[in-house]
Amino acid sequence: MTSLPVTSNTSGKTRGAFLLDRGVGPLLVLPATILVVIFLVGPFYYMVYTALTDLSFADATRKGAFVGFDNFRRLMRDDPLFWNSFLLTLKFVVVAVAMEFVIGFALALLIFKYVVRQRLLTTLLLIPMMLAPVAVGLIWRLLLQGDFGMVIYYLRAVGLLAQNAAVLSQPDLVFPAIVAIDIWQWTPFVTLVMLAGLMSLPRSPFEAAMMDGAGPLRIFLDVMLPLLRPIIALVLLLRGIDAFKEFDKVFIMTGGGPGTLTELVSIYAYRVNFRNWDLGYGAAVAFMVYLVVLILCSVFYKAVYWSAKPSSGLPAGAKP
Amino acid sequence: MLKHTRGQLIAGMIAAAMLQVAHAAAWTLEEAAKPYSGTTIRMVGEALPPLEALSKLAPQFEQATGIKVEVEMYEHSEAVNKVQLDLNSQRGRYDVIIQPHREMGKFATNGHLLEIAPFMADAALRDPSFKPEEQLYQGAWKEISWYDGKMYGFPFTVLNMFMWYRSDLLADAKEKDGFKAKYGYDLAPAQNWDQYRDIAEWFNRPDQGLYGTALQGKRHEALWYEWLNFLYSFGGDVLDVQSGSQCGPVVVNSPQAIASLDYYKSLLAFSPPDSLNYFWDDVMALMQQAKVAELIMWNDATYAVAVDETASTVVGKVGFDIVPQGEGGKIGQLEGWTYLIPTYSKNPQAAFLFIQWMMGYDRQLEQHLNGGASGRPDVYESADVQKLPYAKASMASNEYGKPKATLPQSAEMTDILVRELSSSLAGEKSSKEALDASAKEISTLLGSCAPMSYPAQ
Repeated sequence: MTSLPVTSNTSGKTRGAFLLDRGVGPLLVLPATILVVIFLVGPFYYMVYTALTDLSFADATRKGAFVGFDNFRRLMRDDPLFWNSFLLTLKFVVVAVAMEFVIGFALALLIFKYVVRQRLLTTLLLIPMMLAPVAVGLIWRLLLQGDFGMVIYYLRAVGLLAQNAAVLSQPDLVFPAIVAIDIWQWTPFVTLVMLAGLMSLPRSPFEAAMMDGAGPLRIFLDVMLPLLRPIIALVLLLRGIDAFKEFDKVFIMTGGGPGTLTELVSIYAYRVNFRNWDLGYGAAVAFMVYLVVLILCSVFYKAVYWSAKPSSGLPAGAKP
Repeated sequence: MLKHTRGQLIAGMIAAAMLQVAHAAAWTLEEAAKPYSGTTIRMVGEALPPLEALSKLAPQFEQATGIKVEVEMYEHSEAVNKVQLDLNSQRGRYDVIIQPHREMGKFATNGHLLEIAPFMADAALRDPSFKPEEQLYQGAWKEISWYDGKMYGFPFTVLNMFMWYRSDLLADAKEKDGFKAKYGYDLAPAQNWDQYRDIAEWFNRPDQGLYGTALQGKRHEALWYEWLNFLYSFGGDVLDVQSGSQCGPVVVNSPQAIASLDYYKSLLAFSPPDSLNYFWDDVMALMQQAKVAELIMWNDATYAVAVDETASTVVGKVGFDIVPQGEGGKIGQLEGWTYLIPTYSKNPQAAFLFIQWMMGYDRQLEQHLNGGASGRPDVYESADVQKLPYAKASMASNEYGKPKATLPQSAEMTDILVRELSSSLAGEKSSKEALDASAKEISTLLGSCAPMSYPAQ
């Protein structure tokens, strides 16, 4: 706003600055604030409130009476299914995001170093990411269908899968399968972001390191990785949050089964809320998930940026 | 005096009968609908052939009454969730909802439904030729559309499951000889579960692309529906009650129930390797592609296998019969979708008129011939329906249908059983462990009305 060229009064200030001086600034962000309150803050507080009630759409005797922390107590002490799904989700996040990062970063390095027509390749890489998760779930369910699935056919043909076995029904294969499909869909995202990061790196630190006689591994570990740290943190954070919320693909492919072998916490929350309509307890589940993600993100964020501070030229712990 | 009174009584009865006849002759849909002409009723249900058939019939009603009918169709879970949210918001978006009967308790006890009796008692609305107490399967109607002794609607579909088998394979002379030599009795459609397993074992030839049977073992309602047939037939049950709206002792971990799950799991050996991820669509496709010898399947899926040559390779090669018998006798699970009028409907009278009109014989027949499953026995007796290869099995299964819980907690009970059955199929738990865990959870869920008859360890 301050760049508006029109002067409006005798003091010679721009109109924007004049308006800001008169306290109009907060008014300008009001529409966005209202939207945030309506669509984010309001529902969040309503969820917290609901978690403290016994609201159920199934049971006519539970009209939403205040029950304090009963739902949280039940969640922490008496619900092994929640903890099973929660730990399974953590496992899913750690394995999937780690693999996506390693493969995606390696691909980005290869493309950065050896591929000339990077634009074409990056466009192709976008395809899995552009598919809706529901579509990905349906496609892979068909590809892995035990009797008509194309992928199953070729896996059996080359001997990677026994003739009497199937991926999504096999207790020891189903979890690796859903991880692999997530890797298939989201590795290109890591590749693209890391490629953009590599392209934006300054040349001088690399030239200085080479002149000092550093080898490729030393340059990678001591120059490239520290410079890429903010990008890496961003990718891991975004992928971690997204993977923690994984629902559509897995629900369509397995429904959380066989048994509880693929019941991620989002699927569990869906069942409590929209199958059993136990909304008070379901809100407590959702709040716990939110809380854990928030804590993980904040710990992770602080860890990355705390250790990044020394590279800004200040000693660790020193105030800027 | 007595003579005089009797005479008066007879005269009164005759007068009443004449009045009724006069009313029957006088009542017309057009007249009854006049006050509501120009209104619009909106309805919602599952996107399947019966509802598609209804939406094709609706213009006839519109033409006769001036009442516009809008039909919304969604996938099964979506149709249920949309209704639940609409009812709780009390917006009254829908005037007619078509819902699976397992939802009845939840809707009725929360006051979301209008009772039908006042509409039926209203001479201006009631079509005298519509006599549900004579024209519908009484057991099915009272289970599907009633709750706790109160009438809330009429059946949209009466669903059941029965046995599909490859009649061409069972009639093959070479197969007959080989089967008799191995098992010591003639090859014929299974009458009991031992025969059912023998036939599944005999025809299980994965190297030839043929499986003995196909289980719906995915963690999905399909698994629960299918297993209920085995449970009931083995003499077991979930609750020890007489109707779906009753609460009672939990018996889902009875010895009969454990035996039924053990047996069900034994069929996995003759079922495709991906059975733990299959539900009704998958097993129907297997039968359409001639990849399975016998299975237990829904009546409303039969048309696509037995009649529709564009979708099925086994038209003319499939036979149908009721579910094989166990200790529980001739029995199978009964399911249905029902017409209901929400409390918040803006046009309940027009909605009732439409439902009543749809329950008429001609519309029921038309709907049934296009993939429906009517609740009227006279529809099954029509010559056109009798030509359908599965008509007799479907009709017989309607007679032997057993109700399931429609309590407000029934969705959660289903969820518990689906999870535990799936765990057992996946080898995470034994049959006893899975059913004990189910019984404990269901008993806790229902509270004091549902003690465990078979205490778990």
